[in-house]
Amino acid sequence: MPVIKLFANLRKFAGAKELSVMGSTVGGVLGALVGQNLQLRAAILVDGIPGPHVIITLNGHNIVDLNTAIDEQDVIAIFPPIAGGQGE
Amino acid sequence: MAGWLEKVLEIDLSTHTYKIYPLDMEMARLFIGGRGIGARLLWDMVGPNVDPLSPENVLIFTNGPLTGTGYQTSNRFSVTTKSPLTGTVLDANSGGFWGMQFKKTGYDAMIVRGKSEKPVWIEIKNGAVTFHDASELWGMRVFALTKKLGQDNNKRNVLCIGPAGENLSRVAAIMNDRERAMARGGPGAVMGSKNLKAIVVEGRERPVIEDPERFKFLLYETRKLLAASPLTSQALPEFGTVVLMNIMNNIGALATRNHQQTQFEGAEAISGEELTEKYLVKNAACWACPIGCTRISKTEKVEGEGPEFESTWAFGAQCGIDDLPAIIEANALCNDLGLDTISVGSTIACAMELSEKGYMDSDLRFGLADMLAPTIEAIASRKDIGAELADGSLRLATKYGHPELSMTAKGLEMPAYDPRGLQGQGLLYATSNRGGCHMRGNMIGLEVLGLPKLIDRFQVQGKSAFVILNQNSNAAIDSLVVCKFTNMGVADEYFARVLSAVTGIQYATTELIKAGERVWNLERLYNNREGFTTKDDTLPPRLLNEAPVDGPSQGWVSKLDPMLKEYYRTRGWDENGVPTKQKLTELGLADLV
Repeated sequence: MPVIKLFANLRKFAGAKELSVMGSTVGGVLGALVGQNLQLRAAILVDGIPGPHVIITLNGHNIVDLNTAIDEQDVIAIFPPIAGGQGE
Repeated sequence: MAGWLEKVLEIDLSTHTYKIYPLDMEMARLFIGGRGIGARLLWDMVGPNVDPLSPENVLIFTNGPLTGTGYQTSNRFSVTTKSPLTGTVLDANSGGFWGMQFKKTGYDAMIVRGKSEKPVWIEIKNGAVTFHDASELWGMRVFALTKKLGQDNNKRNVLCIGPAGENLSRVAAIMNDRERAMARGGPGAVMGSKNLKAIVVEGRERPVIEDPERFKFLLYETRKLLAASPLTSQALPEFGTVVLMNIMNNIGALATRNHQQTQFEGAEAISGEELTEKYLVKNAACWACPIGCTRISKTEKVEGEGPEFESTWAFGAQCGIDDLPAIIEANALCNDLGLDTISVGSTIACAMELSEKGYMDSDLRFGLADMLAPTIEAIASRKDIGAELADGSLRLATKYGHPELSMTAKGLEMPAYDPRGLQGQGLLYATSNRGGCHMRGNMIGLEVLGLPKLIDRFQVQGKSAFVILNQNSNAAIDSLVVCKFTNMGVADEYFARVLSAVTGIQYATTELIKAGERVWNLERLYNNREGFTTKDDTLPPRLLNEAPVDGPSQGWVSKLDPMLKEYYRTRGWDENGVPTKQKLTELGLADLV
């Protein structure tokens, strides 16, 4: 099964750093991940799509199309809004 | 005029005298304050024949028209000088409390010239300047000195150098309010070369605000915007800047082991999540900042501010070290000794690679966390191996016949983001006026974080326009002076409105950004006058020729050449990277050349 890696406060909401979730597209896996977890859903999705500044990567490459197909060995990473890099 | 205090303080350390004269208000209108006024003053005062560590170099401390007004993050100030590390124009800015207090002493700018015969510290109290003997303070570390001179965040603030600055390390920082740093490019060495140990400020003046009602409204609006943004209200306070570690590693753009790789297997162990879970004590904030990104962390040996992402990376991934307590302690040690964490970490990494490859005889090896603290101590004291590392990685690598192993642009050590996986970031480093730096405009927002929108990080064509926009905007923000994190919740338009409300001069957003462009072009002219040319707008050969063999950036090198050509054209510069007469006329700079 594809592995989903979670970061920042998503770990607290999911109770895990990473999970294996069934699905054949990024969107399918995402739907299965948030399932009934309302905190996780609220942190990732807005009106059923990833919220502003939520970053989803597939094997390290940014994903904007949730219909992107995935296979068993793929790794999806999900980051909630994060910031930095402008401190002196 | 409102906003500015219209006064410049000029101190001559050679004679222990000072004079006060009016600020040129036409210059203030065009260059605003902070970095902008600093660059304009430096242009007149320090030419190409001046050794940065000679008495003829100057330190120009500047605040801006927003400093001390109470506008969100209006705590920052700048120092401008000729860099002893790079030979370029240098400005570094810092937050905390000192900038606000400096404004309260009644000056927009303070120019420090000459060299004191003996160590000295300066006290500026309600506008008057007193010179104190610092012979007994010479050698003191930053934390103890800051306390001894009476640091009291809202009343009396201390800026100083540590032993690294005294020993003229070209990677020495100027520290303020104990743990805030004006770090990059070695301004601490300039202060040390003048025998100036500290500047303590205490004041009561308040800047006049031209339109208080409009200002109050904008203060309210900004508060709402910062509270509404998940970045400034949640992401930065909750995990701090170190939260970038995992994402940079995930996308294969985390420079590792002196940029030999782009992913670090130990990234999780030194991540923001790990820092928060195991070492975070509490958050802290600079004056008038509702964001509060500062982290107070604690190990068995130290408790203090930081480390920020770049510092954690420099002692972590760049040195192949995944021992977070050792990294926290290395960061605290640099603060106490007055050193730039990025340059120190990357210089140690360079020495590690030189040693592993047999070019240099030392015990330094990637992954050896126990080597960090003694090496940092040696750098600050210029003893043993520190004598070779104290002047940065380019001088070190050149000495051993391998300058290509210095991960610098124009001699300044680059931060964490590997340009092979971030094409725009590479262009940014190569064209930065103070050398390899992420603070002159950062492409991470656009290329990684989707701020405001995500663009393709591997795309080459068209990148220059984004880089230029960021550079101009950052130069304007550095001239106000406010914190760039504010810009994550508040658009440039708001800064123009606040500047107008404070000063009474109506700045459209385009005029504010044009002021940033003016500053950028002036800095470029300065570097051109110093002899820098297009050949200096480059990156280490490793980043141009050696593609990562695995990870998401596999197969990519920085495609700098086509981006650079496009950049010069878009800037309105000629093919040699020199601003054209037309561009300089448009910016009101034609009379300078």
